[in-house]
Amino acid sequence: MKVRRWILPIVLVASFLGIWELAAHLRWINPSLFAPPSAIVRDLLRLHTRRLPDYSVLLTHIGASLRRMFLAASIGTIAGVATGILMGASRIVSRFFDPIITILMPIPGIAQAPLFIVWLGFGDPTIVTIGAIATFFPIAFNTAAGVRSIDPQIVRAARIMGVSKTASLARIYLPSAAGHIMAGIKLGWARGWRTVIAVEFVAAASWGLGYMIWDASEYIRSGVVYGGILLLMLVYFAIERLLLETVERLTVRRWGMIRS
Amino acid sequence: MMNRRIFTQDAAARWRTRFVAALQFVLPFLILGVLWELIVRTGVVSQTSLPPPSRIACKFWELCVGDHLLWRHLARSMYRLSIGYALAMGSGLLFGSLLAMNRILGDMFSPILSLLISVPTIAWVPVFLITMGLGDRTVIAAVFLGGFFAITYNTIRGIEMVDVSQVRAARTMGARGPKLFTAVLLPASSVSVLTGLRLGIGYSWRALVGGEMLSAMIQWGIGKMIYQARFWNDIVVMFVGLLVIGLTGFLLDRLLIRWLERVTVERWGMVTER
Repeated sequence: MKVRRWILPIVLVASFLGIWELAAHLRWINPSLFAPPSAIVRDLLRLHTRRLPDYSVLLTHIGASLRRMFLAASIGTIAGVATGILMGASRIVSRFFDPIITILMPIPGIAQAPLFIVWLGFGDPTIVTIGAIATFFPIAFNTAAGVRSIDPQIVRAARIMGVSKTASLARIYLPSAAGHIMAGIKLGWARGWRTVIAVEFVAAASWGLGYMIWDASEYIRSGVVYGGILLLMLVYFAIERLLLETVERLTVRRWGMIRS
Repeated sequence: MMNRRIFTQDAAARWRTRFVAALQFVLPFLILGVLWELIVRTGVVSQTSLPPPSRIACKFWELCVGDHLLWRHLARSMYRLSIGYALAMGSGLLFGSLLAMNRILGDMFSPILSLLISVPTIAWVPVFLITMGLGDRTVIAAVFLGGFFAITYNTIRGIEMVDVSQVRAARTMGARGPKLFTAVLLPASSVSVLTGLRLGIGYSWRALVGGEMLSAMIQWGIGKMIYQARFWNDIVVMFVGLLVIGLTGFLLDRLLIRWLERVTVERWGMVTER
């Protein structure tokens, strides 16, 4: 059963790639616009080996995007969890932030780029700031929802037993809302990654996967464009499977907050 | 007579709660705006890097009523959005239900779909730019793709979650194929489908703005307006553009999707009225 589940899609993808390769070689499609799989692999390898004794161009691009994404996601997560707890615990704070988040959330990161380029210039500061904003919204939203779902009896019980109001934020609200927070972190980090890539299209000075794809598309090097998209898929897959699921297993699953 | 008075009281009360809700929605923006205005006017931050809200409002008025430029940008964007989103809706519903109803198709495409979903929509834009040119078609393709995945995914989930006994009951009563689909599966999965449509319009709207910014041959569009403002360093126009993008995204959700909800799942009593 397990094997059958994987055979069909693999056969499908393999035959798709095979037809693509064949069509490009027989000139049914223009190979400079639709670079065949062999050319994608070749272009990526060439990018990797071009400056190899000194550094790998390809890995530097990937590293630049990852560094920006982790920085942005960390800032966004801390700010989002803090704001979310306050929103969930206090009605006034939530009434203030709810409408603002509702209006600001549909604005894509790439649209904020021109504004932040004027303020912070091209490069890391702009990309990280917009990435952090993008990460912030889903996490704040989910954290607030998690805090609101806490049974008020628990909070009252803790207060009676002498937990101060500020201490209850960290010792009751935070762990009780952990399941929701984790869901928010998954959404937020995915959004942060997308946003970092998108902003790199317009605001990166020299490095980053987004910059690599955009630069290649301007010179119609389609192999690098397709290869870049493939790498986006792989990198995000790695982040989600290796990092986020490990964190989830070590925290909320171990605490028994969500079923495994 | 008595009934009527109760009814009007109800209506009045309803309008009052609506008014209070609207006021509560606007109040944070007013507070923020006043603070912002004060900070800029007292000179803590220079006016060239952070224009006061009053100037943004003036510019908004000028673009709206003065030379109608904003409407031309917005109309062009809406044209692209409606074509791309309609395509996404049609093909997403079709593809999603095919994948959910046919085991082999589902096994074939579901893993591929979940891989493709992880690619940010905006990353496809360079591909479209290469293969479809620098004009409208690229933007519409981005809008389509943005909505398509969310709608497909949620349609599949919705149909898969339909109670098996409902399907069996319909089958024994003779419903098959298209009849089974329209009479049982689609209504029963409509809550999840609507979630897909709601997520989809958000993704489509964001993809639209990004696509317009990146497509060089486009002159009109709300994304283009912001992008062009960059060449003049015109921060006021950028703020107006961001405000319009946020507001329109919000209104699309509230008006379009709420209307869809009202005529489908709420009328059928599948969710409680909010």
